Amino acid sequence: MKKRGIALLLVGFMALSLAACSAEKTVREDPWAAASGAVGGNSNKVKVDPYAGEEVKIAYIAHDIGTPNNQGWKEGIERECASWSNIKVDSYGAEESAEKQVQIMTDCINQGYNAIILQCSDGTALAPSVQQAEEAGIPVITVNLDCASDTIHSALVMAVDYDAGRMAADKMAEQLGETGEIAIIQGVPGLERTDNLERGFRDTIAKYPDIKIVEAQSASFSKDTAITVMNSFLQSHPDLKGVFAINDAMAEGAALAAQSKNKKGQICIWGADGEKDALAMIESGDMAGTIYTNSWDEGSTAAKIALLMIGSEYDYTCLTATPKVIMEPIVVTAENVGTIAEEDRW
Amino acid sequence: MKNFNWSKYSKPIILVVFVIVLSILRPKAFLSLDNFSNVLWSVAVIGIMVSGSIFVFLIGGIDLSIATLCAFSAVVVVSVTHMLGDTPVAVIVGVLCALAVGALAGAIHGIIITTFKIPAFLVTFASQSIFLGLAMVFTNNKIVSCTVPAFTAIGAFKILGFPLPVYFMVIIALLSWYILRKTVYGRYVYAVGGNPTASEISGINVKLASIICYVLSGLTTAMGGIVLASMTQQASSGTGSGYTNDVITAAVIGGVSLLGGEGTVPGAIFGAVLMGLLNNGLNLMSVPSTHAGLVKGLVIVVAVAFDAMQHADQSRKKVKKIKKASA
Repeated sequence: MKKRGIALLLVGFMALSLAACSAEKTVREDPWAAASGAVGGNSNKVKVDPYAGEEVKIAYIAHDIGTPNNQGWKEGIERECASWSNIKVDSYGAEESAEKQVQIMTDCINQGYNAIILQCSDGTALAPSVQQAEEAGIPVITVNLDCASDTIHSALVMAVDYDAGRMAADKMAEQLGETGEIAIIQGVPGLERTDNLERGFRDTIAKYPDIKIVEAQSASFSKDTAITVMNSFLQSHPDLKGVFAINDAMAEGAALAAQSKNKKGQICIWGADGEKDALAMIESGDMAGTIYTNSWDEGSTAAKIALLMIGSEYDYTCLTATPKVIMEPIVVTAENVGTIAEEDRW
Repeated sequence: MKNFNWSKYSKPIILVVFVIVLSILRPKAFLSLDNFSNVLWSVAVIGIMVSGSIFVFLIGGIDLSIATLCAFSAVVVVSVTHMLGDTPVAVIVGVLCALAVGALAGAIHGIIITTFKIPAFLVTFASQSIFLGLAMVFTNNKIVSCTVPAFTAIGAFKILGFPLPVYFMVIIALLSWYILRKTVYGRYVYAVGGNPTASEISGINVKLASIICYVLSGLTTAMGGIVLASMTQQASSGTGSGYTNDVITAAVIGGVSLLGGEGTVPGAIFGAVLMGLLNNGLNLMSVPSTHAGLVKGLVIVVAVAFDAMQHADQSRKKVKKIKKASA
């Protein structure tokens, strides 16, 4: 797992340096001019070297700081920065509100943070704030949820979404013997990540003519609602063979519902995220699988890029597009769940 | 038939109509003991909570801290159970601690509201974020899980096809119905809600009566939290989010007036069950979530309008009678 994490980081940095390379073309004439603000660079950018003991403040702004994913990212960021006593990380939760997040962004810009790591509640609503931060010389690294695509910022670190749906579909089809009725438990409709996951799943399942998606209902990412939704699935479709939930919490809820109907392990329940509890449920046979992403790694990758950008004379004006770092997903089933070490379970 | 008191039975009639419609639309899936057990299971937590919160509504108060107090008590029961070694005894201690937290929170609400005469809205609005903060600090903002069989049984163990929370709901609803209908204290609650000044003058200890209302609300909220934690086998600061709205909505649908003095426990339970049936029906008919909100809203408006119409009819008849008598 460790090796995988390192490989992942390298891939991430390669992606970033590639983007930087392509951006370099525009400033090659005089690479140092960027620093002085003459060509392409931003005059607001204050060059600070976080690795040389200068004071650095990083803000992490979450959509909903209480979820396991957000905690994973937060811990990843903190761990990455813990080795340097001059780097301070502050975390903020936006209580699932885009307006609140905009407010926090404004506060952070005013307080002069050196970098902001942001999980966008709403890409369109947050785009002006991201732009504003970058203009003020504060690099913004988005996590999982991007802001509106034409707002170029320092980086986007993300778990796969479309492909995660695709991988879950293929593995589930294999487990089901490519036949049977299945259902989808959706998150909040309209969120890009969840829509992509579902699309990836549906597109792939379409390849298997004998697998039929008979239901798709939302459980709003909540475990207790998922129990109710799953109960009604089992009620209307006694022959249900599989369920794909857009996140692990809902998959766990579905598994509990199956358990209460004495159908433990008889229904192929898939989630996505790879949180600790879901992995335990795969071990106990309640769930069939999940798409695991190491949230700690994801957070620390975001922090590494933040530190890199803080120390660099390049900024968003050198980029032609937001560089994307895509975390490697791992398809976890009962066969390989043991290979995910305890220290990688967030 | 002419003297049949429609208004008294309008709520059960709405439920029966609902059941008949759903049975016709989805006979196989809907009409089974299993499905009724599902519906009741899904509304049990709301039913438990509303049976206590109704006391607060009846005295014209409100409790906005339901969701976060539910989260905090869920966190308490899981953490205490875990700290004491995950034994059945630990579960009992955990449950008692959570109930104590709920009662204490209610008592504090009641004392602050009655002593300083601050609107309940403000006090519970403030405490809502205090409880959320406590739940976050207690768990270090992580999910704490508990899979001890003695604990998970609270939310899922089945007797005669129905899970335990359904029985809790019935017992607590009956208890609070009894208190409100058959005891002197129940009369006091309605009196305080109807006219606090008159109640004070007529010798009711309004302050004490109000504090007890908040304690009862806190207790049932904690119970809801315990059941919810057990059903999901975990607790976090996000447990029960959205339940404040659900509980208040169930009460209002059931004819409880937020101005106080009006409403019954069966009414509130009716509100909860109606919402549960509605969600169940929408799921069974595979209404996509994009349309579910629309359908839900329309059905609630129609059902509540029917109920209100019956009551209006009833009071019109009363007025007629009085007019006739006085003439």
